[in-house]
Amino acid sequence: MISTLQYIDSQTVTYALAAVGLPLVAAIINLLLPARSGRVGGWISAVTIFLSAVCAAIVFGSIWNHNALHTQQLWFTIGNTAVNAGVLLNNLSAFMLLLVTVIALPVHIYSTAYIKSEEQNRYFTYLSFFCFSMLALVVVDSMILLYAFWELVGFSSYLLIGFWFTRDSAVQANKKAFIMNRIGDIGLLSAIIILFAQYHTFDLVALFGTNGLVFKSTIQNGMWIALTGQMPQVWQYVAFAGIFLAVAAKSAQFPLHTWLPDAMEGPTSVSALIHAATMVAAGVFLLGRVYPMFSADELNMLAIIGCFTAFLAATIALTQNDLKRILAYSTISQLGYMIMAMGINAYASSLFHLATHAFFKCLLFLCAGVIIHEIHHIKEEHQLTIDAQNINNMGGLRKKMPLTFIATLIGCLALVGLPFTSGYLSKDGILIQAFEWAEGKSVWFKIIPIGIFITSGITAFYVARLIFKVFFGEFKLKALLPNVHLHVSDGSWGFRIPLVFLSLCSLFPLFSFNPFSYEHAWLFEGFSLSNNVLGESIYHHVIPVSISVLSILVAGWAFSVYVKQRRLVLSESSFLFKMSYNQWYIDAFYKRVIVKAVLLLSNALYWFDRAIVDGFIQVLQQVTLFLSGLAAWVDRYLVDGFLYLVTQLVKGIGNFFRGFQSGRVQYYLFSMLAAVLAVFIIKLLI
Amino acid sequence: MNILTLLIFIPALFGLLILALPASLKQSFKYITLAATLIQLGLSIWLYINFQTGAAFGGINHESQFQFVQKISWISLDLGTAGRMQVDYFVGVDGISILLLVMTAVVMVIAVLASWEIKHNLKGFFVLFLLLDMAVAGVFCALDFFLFYLFYELMLLPLYFLIGIWGGVRREYAAIKFFLYTLFGSVFMLLIMVGLYLSVTDPATGNHTFNIVQMMNPANYQQGSVFSIFSHQTLFGIPARVLAFVVLFIAFAIKVPVVPLHTWLPDAHVEAPTPVSIILAGVLLKIGGYGIIRICIGIFPEVAYQGAYWLGLLGVVSILYGALNALAQRDLKRLIAYSSVSHMGFVLLGLASQTAEGVSGAMMQMISHGFLSSMLFFLVGVIYTRVHDRDIYNFRGLATVNPQYTTYVMIAFFASLGLPGFSAFIAEAFSLTGAFKSELIPNWMAVCGSIGILLSAAYFLWTLQRMFFGKELLKGGDSWKQALTGLKLREKLALFPLAVLALVLGIMPSLVFSKINDSVLALVEFTKQMVR
Repeated sequence: MISTLQYIDSQTVTYALAAVGLPLVAAIINLLLPARSGRVGGWISAVTIFLSAVCAAIVFGSIWNHNALHTQQLWFTIGNTAVNAGVLLNNLSAFMLLLVTVIALPVHIYSTAYIKSEEQNRYFTYLSFFCFSMLALVVVDSMILLYAFWELVGFSSYLLIGFWFTRDSAVQANKKAFIMNRIGDIGLLSAIIILFAQYHTFDLVALFGTNGLVFKSTIQNGMWIALTGQMPQVWQYVAFAGIFLAVAAKSAQFPLHTWLPDAMEGPTSVSALIHAATMVAAGVFLLGRVYPMFSADELNMLAIIGCFTAFLAATIALTQNDLKRILAYSTISQLGYMIMAMGINAYASSLFHLATHAFFKCLLFLCAGVIIHEIHHIKEEHQLTIDAQNINNMGGLRKKMPLTFIATLIGCLALVGLPFTSGYLSKDGILIQAFEWAEGKSVWFKIIPIGIFITSGITAFYVARLIFKVFFGEFKLKALLPNVHLHVSDGSWGFRIPLVFLSLCSLFPLFSFNPFSYEHAWLFEGFSLSNNVLGESIYHHVIPVSISVLSILVAGWAFSVYVKQRRLVLSESSFLFKMSYNQWYIDAFYKRVIVKAVLLLSNALYWFDRAIVDGFIQVLQQVTLFLSGLAAWVDRYLVDGFLYLVTQLVKGIGNFFRGFQSGRVQYYLFSMLAAVLAVFIIKLLI
Repeated sequence: MNILTLLIFIPALFGLLILALPASLKQSFKYITLAATLIQLGLSIWLYINFQTGAAFGGINHESQFQFVQKISWISLDLGTAGRMQVDYFVGVDGISILLLVMTAVVMVIAVLASWEIKHNLKGFFVLFLLLDMAVAGVFCALDFFLFYLFYELMLLPLYFLIGIWGGVRREYAAIKFFLYTLFGSVFMLLIMVGLYLSVTDPATGNHTFNIVQMMNPANYQQGSVFSIFSHQTLFGIPARVLAFVVLFIAFAIKVPVVPLHTWLPDAHVEAPTPVSIILAGVLLKIGGYGIIRICIGIFPEVAYQGAYWLGLLGVVSILYGALNALAQRDLKRLIAYSSVSHMGFVLLGLASQTAEGVSGAMMQMISHGFLSSMLFFLVGVIYTRVHDRDIYNFRGLATVNPQYTTYVMIAFFASLGLPGFSAFIAEAFSLTGAFKSELIPNWMAVCGSIGILLSAAYFLWTLQRMFFGKELLKGGDSWKQALTGLKLREKLALFPLAVLALVLGIMPSLVFSKINDSVLALVEFTKQMVR
C-alpha cells in the first residue's frame, strides 16, 4: 500500500505508525521486565513517548493544513465485504496525535516520580498501553478499528483506575467505569452496524469524507435513502442515539457521567492524562469524525445535553470537598462545553477548547497530585486518619508550595477563562458563538447561551473556592499537629518540570499571538469549516468583557466567604446544598433503582430457570417415573397377576385331583362308593 | 490411507492400546492419550494448511467440492423389490467443518492436560475419553447421514459414563438428565433420517441413499415422497419438511443449547470433571451449531428461510436469558455455564440472519467460544482441584494470592466479554452485523443482542471484583492460601496457547475467514437459490 504513495507521504505514514507503535513496544517491554527492575521501565516509557511526540510533530508538520492522507490495506474479507485497516491523517487526527503525545510526555515524567518504584512496571505497562490505544484511536480509518481502540482505551482506563486493586473503592470504581462505558460501546456498535447495513462499508473516508456516502444520502417520506440502499428513517435516529450514547459514556455526559468522579480512585497522574486530558476527549473526537451524519435536530439535542451537563457538573463542583472530585466535575462541565459547541455548529471552537482544556486540566490534576502527595506523606509519617484529598485539611499552602500555587493559579485562570490564558480564547469563543447561534431562533433556544453563561459564573466560584481553601488561610493540619514542623514542598524536579511546561502551554502564546481574539488562533483557523466566520457581531465585545467581570466579582465573593469567613452562601442543611453535595442523587438513583432492578430481574430469571423451565423437566421426569411405576404395577399385578392366577388355578386343580391319588385302598373304596351314590342320586332325581 | 479416516480413528487405536495394557502401567495412560491427541492435532494442522480455498472449493451442496474425501460403500443390502440399501462410509470436509476440526483437536489436547486431576479408574476414563474423541471427529467429517448419526449417538455413551462415574456429588442425576435430554433429541432425528432416506435416491445408482450432500438437491427426491420439496406433503397437519426441520432443530438445539432446552447444561457442567466440562463446552456445543448448519439449513434451506424470525428470536432470548442468569450465580462454574448459553445465542442469531456476515460471525463465535470456554473451565478446574470450592463469595483478593492465575483469568474474562483484540469481539460484532443487515429478521433483534455484550461485561467484571480484587480473604484461611499459590507448568502449557489463540484470531481473523469464506458464501447463495 505504502509503495503506491508519494515517497514523502509514505514517510509521513511511517512516522504516524511509529508514533502509534512505540508506546506499544514500551508496554511490551515493561510487561516482560522482571518485577524488581526499579525505575528502568518508567524511563523506557518516557523515552518512547518522547520519540512518539517527535514523530507526531513531524506528521503534524506535513499534514496540518495540507491534504489529508489516507492509506489502507486489506485486513480480512468476510463474505463479499473487504474490511480494510489503515491510517487516516487529516487535520483532526494529526492534531490529536500531537496533542496526546505532548500531554502524555509530562505525565510520564511526573509518573516516574509519583509512582513507587516497585509498582512502576505494572503502571507503565498499562500507561503505555493506554497511549498506544489512544493514539491508534485517533489515526485509524475504519469504524471497526475505531470501535476496537475505543474499547481498548476504556480497558486501559479500567486497569489504571483499579491500579491499586486491593482497595475496594478502586475496584468498584473501575467496574463501574467499564460497565458504563460498555453502555456507550454497545451504542457505538449499534451505530456502526446500522451505518454498515445502510452504506456497506466501515471506511471513514468513504462514509464521512467530502462527497462521502453520508453526504449523498437523504431522508424522504420517512425513508433514509442512500446510494446503497434504504431503511426507515427511525434507524437514522437510532444510529445517532448510539453515537450519542458512546459520546456520553466516554466523555462523561449526562446521563452516563457518574463513572468519572469515581474514576478518581486511580493514581492522580492517570486522572490527569486519561480522565481529564485525553480519553474523555475521545467522545468529542468521535463527534468530529462522524460530524456530517447529524441532522439539525440531532445537533440541537447535542447542544441541550452538553449545556445541561456543563451546568449540572458545575453546580455539583460547588460543594464537593475532595480535591480530585472537584476537578473531575469541572472536567465533566468543560466536556459539556465541548459537546454543546459541537451542537451549535462551533466545530472549530469545540476542538480548540479540547486542546486548551487538555493542557490546563492536566496541569490542575498534576498540581493536585503534588498537593495530595505531600499531604499523604504527612499522613503516613504521623499516622493520621485523615482523607489526604479533602480540601478542608489543606489551606495556606501558597507559601510552602509557591511553584504549585502559581501553576494551579494559571490552570484555574484558564479554566475560568480570564484574559491572557488559553482558556479565554477557546471558552469565550464558544460563548460568543452560542449567543450568535441563538440569534434569530425562537426564545427557547436562548436558554442554551444563557445557561452556559451562568455556568461560567458558577465555574468561577468553585475554582475560587478551591484556590482559597487550598492555598489561602491557615494550614489545617498545623492545628491538628501544633508541635510538629510539617515539611511541605513542591517536590522533586520530576514534579516541577511538568508543571512548568504545562503552565506555559496554558497561556495564550501557544495558540494565538493575539490574546483577545479566538478567531486568530491557528488551531481555530485550521478547523474552521468555512472561511466566512469572521462576523463582527456585538457579542464579540460584550461577552468576553462581561464574562471576565462576572468571574472577578464572583471570585471576590468567594474570597470574602472562604478567606474572610463571612457567611454568604447557602447553609449546609438547605435543599439546594444537599442536592449539589449528593450529586443530584443521580448516582444513588442508579445504584438503588437500576442496578437493583437488573439484579432482581436476574435473580427472578434464575428462579424461573430452576423452578419453571427445569421444573417442567422435573415434572416431566416425575410423570415419566409415575407412569413407569404404574406400568410396573400393572405388569406385576395385572399382567403378571393374571398369569399367576392361571398358574394358581392349575395348581389348585392339580392339587385337588392329586388328593385323590393318596394310595390308600379305603380311600379309593370310599371314593368309588361316593361316585356310585352320586350317580344313583342324580339318576333318581332326573 | 485417507487423512480424515486417520484423524478419526487414531484415538480409537490408542484407546485399544490402553485397553490392552495392564493396569500396572496406569500412570502412562494419560501420556498415551496425550500422544493420541497431539497426533490428531498435528494431522488437523496439516489439514488446515493444505486446505484449498477458492470458489471451486465451496463445498456445501457440491460433492466434488469437498476435500480429503473418502467414500467407500459400507453396507449394501439387496432388499429385493425395495431396492438396495446403500450406506456409504463417506467423509470429507469443507469450510464449515475444517476449522471446527482444528478447534476440536486443540480442545482435546487441553482436555487431556486437564485430566491429570483424574485419580481413579484411569483405564476406563482414558478409553472413554478417546472413544469420545473419535466420535466427535467423526461427526464433523461424516457426510453420510447414517454415519453421522452413528458417531452422534456414539458420543453420548462415553459422556454419560464420564459424567456419571468421575463427576461431582450429584453426578448421577446430571448424567441421567444429560443422557435423556440428548437422547430425546436424537431418537426423533432417527425417524427423520429414515424418512429422508426413503425420499432420496442416488441419481447414479437409483438406490435410496443417506448421502447428506445429495439430500440437499431437490432433484434427488423421489416424486411424491414425503420430504420432497415439490410434493407438499403434510404430517399431522404440518408440512412434512417443516416438521422435519423442527425435529432436527430441536435435536441440535438441545446440544447448542438454546433456551428453553438448556437446563441440562448447568447441571452437567457443575457435576462433570474439568476435562469433561472442557469437552462439553468446547466441542459438544459446537456440534449443535454445526448440525444446524449442515443438516437443518443444508437439507431444509427454505424452511430455515421462512423460520428465520423464530431462529433469531430464540437466539436473542438465549443471549439475554443466559446472561441474566449468569449474573445471578454464585457458583463460578455455573456462571460460566450460563455464559456459554448466552454466547452460543450469538451463533444462532448469526445463523438465522443467513447473510455472509452473520454466518461467518457465527462460525467465528463457535471457534472462539471453543477456545475461550475451554480456558474458562480449565481455570475453574485450577482452583477447584486445589480447594474443592468454587463459590464466588468464598474467595476475595485472589490477585494478591496468585497474580499469575489472576492474569489468565483476566485474559479469559476480557476475551469472553468481547474485548477487541480477542476473537470473541470479531465474532459477536459480525453476528450482530449480519443480523442487522439481514432482511429475514427484524432489526431490533440485533440491537437487543448487543445488550448481551453489556451484560457479559457486568457478570464477568463483577466476578473479578468479588473474587480477585480487594483485600485478601479466603474462606479456608491459610491452608487455602498455601494451596492456591502458583501455577503448575502443565497448567501454563494449557492456558498459554489458548490465550494466544484467542488473541491471534482477534487480530488476524483472516486465519479463520479466509478458510471458511467460500463455504459461507456458497451456503448463503445456496439458500437463496433454494428459496427462489
